[in-house]
Amino acid sequence: MTAAVGHAAVLVGFVLALWGIAAPLIAERTGNRIFFSAARGAILGQFVLVTVAAAALIYGLVTTDFSIQYVAMNTTRATPVYYRVTGLWGALEGSLLLWEWILIIFSGLVAYIYRDRHREAMPWVLMIFSIVSAFFLGVIAFASNPFASVFPVPLDGRGLNPLLEDANMMSHPPLLYTGFVGLTVPYAFAMAALIVGKVDEAWIVTTRRWTITAWFFLTMGNLVGAWWSYHVLGWGGYWAWDPVENAAFMPWLPATAFLHSVQVQERRRMLKVWNLSLIIVAFSLTIFGTFLTRSGVLSSIHAFSNGPVGTIFLVFLGAILLASFGLLAYRADLLKGQPELDSMVSRESAFMLNNVLLVSALFTIFLGTIFPLIAEAVTGAPVSVGAPYFNSATVPLFLALVFLMAVGPMIAWRRASWDNLRRNFLWPAAASLAIALMLFIFWVRDFMPLLGFTLCAFVAASILFDTALAVRARRRIAGEGIFRALVTLARRNQRRYGGLVVHLGIVLIALGIAGSMSYSIERQATLGRGETLAVGNYRIRFEGLRAIEQPTHYRVEGSFEVARGGRSLGVLSPALKFFPNQQSPVGRAVHRSTFSEDIYLILSGFSELDKNRATLKVLVRPLVVWIWLGGAVIALGTLVAIWPMKRQTAAVEEPAPELEAVG
Amino acid sequence: MRSRRFLIGGAIIAAALVYLIYGGMRQAMVYFVTPSELKAQESGSAGKFLRVGGMVVKGSLHRNADGLTYRFQLTDGSAVIPVYFHGVPPDLFADGKGAVVEGKIGPDGLFIASTTRRGVQPRRARQALLAQGLRPRGGGKEVVTHSTMLGVTAGGIEP
Repeated sequence: MTAAVGHAAVLVGFVLALWGIAAPLIAERTGNRIFFSAARGAILGQFVLVTVAAAALIYGLVTTDFSIQYVAMNTTRATPVYYRVTGLWGALEGSLLLWEWILIIFSGLVAYIYRDRHREAMPWVLMIFSIVSAFFLGVIAFASNPFASVFPVPLDGRGLNPLLEDANMMSHPPLLYTGFVGLTVPYAFAMAALIVGKVDEAWIVTTRRWTITAWFFLTMGNLVGAWWSYHVLGWGGYWAWDPVENAAFMPWLPATAFLHSVQVQERRRMLKVWNLSLIIVAFSLTIFGTFLTRSGVLSSIHAFSNGPVGTIFLVFLGAILLASFGLLAYRADLLKGQPELDSMVSRESAFMLNNVLLVSALFTIFLGTIFPLIAEAVTGAPVSVGAPYFNSATVPLFLALVFLMAVGPMIAWRRASWDNLRRNFLWPAAASLAIALMLFIFWVRDFMPLLGFTLCAFVAASILFDTALAVRARRRIAGEGIFRALVTLARRNQRRYGGLVVHLGIVLIALGIAGSMSYSIERQATLGRGETLAVGNYRIRFEGLRAIEQPTHYRVEGSFEVARGGRSLGVLSPALKFFPNQQSPVGRAVHRSTFSEDIYLILSGFSELDKNRATLKVLVRPLVVWIWLGGAVIALGTLVAIWPMKRQTAAVEEPAPELEAVG
Repeated sequence: MRSRRFLIGGAIIAAALVYLIYGGMRQAMVYFVTPSELKAQESGSAGKFLRVGGMVVKGSLHRNADGLTYRFQLTDGSAVIPVYFHGVPPDLFADGKGAVVEGKIGPDGLFIASTTRRGVQPRRARQALLAQGLRPRGGGKEVVTHSTMLGVTAGGIEP
């Protein structure tokens, strides 16, 4: 019954999506504007139907309706209710439904918020949404049906992959999907602008908040994924350059480039074609990411299945690229004639260089990700490209980007004078060089980490210096206190100060990555009871093993007394978990974080006979905690940037009058 | 004049990118071979970093008292290569089970396995084993966890 309702909702939704595509075309043909409002009706109808379908699947999961194959595969009677709900994105079929659900929520919001605005563009925006929605609904209805039934009905389900039973895993896929889907909004407005032939800045201004929001979710999705990898996967790292991680990270790069380059277009009317191309690429990469992760073409823990879905995604991806760039070429005449760059030393050129670097990083990662596929297809010899490739090829690019984070926001538009450069950069540069010198004398002797830390210091110094100057000016003009002045500044120029806070967050992440990449220590040993292992400043003594019966699994825990510099820090207990349905145990690493470093313990084996020996892997990783703190700072900065505020300038910031005037 | 400057700038960036990619690739590209392929080109493979997939020959696995040193033989059904491995093997690693090792082959024909990277799975090893009439276990569903990053990748293959 549940399955029938869900499947019916998907099928009707699919038909509505097709109607949502057809209606604007009919309206264009016949000139009857009634059909334009039909496009909105189609979106709102899909919103209701997909919500019903998603609710049906969640209901099936929660009530453990094992007549639905997907439920039987992803829950058991013993699964707690919240993990039954997260079973929605535990495997391919459900995660496609989740994706579609988020997409149609976004579409519905856009349809509702702009119901009286952008009369000319809206039908086409909604048509783009319907196209994407029709694709996903088609896949869900015909190729990857989460409501497929199973007979005979099993007595109990198989359950989630135990690694996915984790609080972070509850948030990681929805965050990432929200980021992916969020990019559909600027993409849809860009395509609508091309269709209507109004290729000015209106689509960028309209979608600005949407793009920042999507970027934010994308960032958080990746960070939570890294957090999960570090805390749950238990190998001691947060990023392995796994193809699936790359798939999630790649759209972030053009999205970040886009956030910067649109400012050049808003300000200087430059880079029109480039911005349209960037958003096409960013959106295509979200589809490409799903193709990579869901097709099984590159197997890894995230790749659940082999099936026709991969091919369908690839065809859709090809169609998107062809149609989008085709449209761009068709409107090439309208996009001609833009102002030239005045000087190489200007904010425009800093932003352009930022874009070149981000796109280069994208290209590098893309190549490394698909190279094994190409190589195997062409030569037949299987090849793998490991993390060292990604590290050595992208780290210089990312360092250069960190440098630009200090330059871009401070340098003058059009043409920076010597005076401007000296005023903005002299003190920050001096401060960061002083920090570099201190680091060199006391701690850091290697070139790459020293460069990384210095650049981080340069960015932080330039942001603090610039803000301090602005605060001083406010105090002089308005006589405000420091805090009051900061609030006024942030309110007056949300985007700038939000952006600077986000930059500070990125700096913290860069700091954490540089520290943990360069100065990690790793030791492994088999210890008898009472034996001690020395790692760095730490001494780890093996106290013994104990076995614990848990509701869903059986757990063997090792107790290790950790001491640093002679002072005991307490007992850490990494464990191995034995699940009845799994052949091999799942490790549960533990770690202890401080602001300066983490100590990370992995139990990798124990002697089964006397239970007196344990094999242990220990990592000491400096500064990792700053990566997570950086994420929090980014969240804060994003809030500053997009927080809706009623101000006198709001009317200036939200123009799009050309689109509103018509109809 | 201006466009020439852009051209030069673009060329410099492109050259730097090519250098980064080429340098990185040379350093990090790993070929995946089966034990028979390795045997066939032994002289050419000495000192090259390789990934070898196959099955641990039943009864060949020896573990030292320190719990961190392993010796075993890896086979794809036709050729057999001896492997030495120091480190923590993944949970699935066992006598008679499938395994993928990364490392270099010494002049004496002993394969020294080092820490492996997480990455592409032993799909090819499975194919080779299938060709030999050995069947992958469990419908080919891979159980790959953190262990893939620790030393030896276990693919879940048995005769």
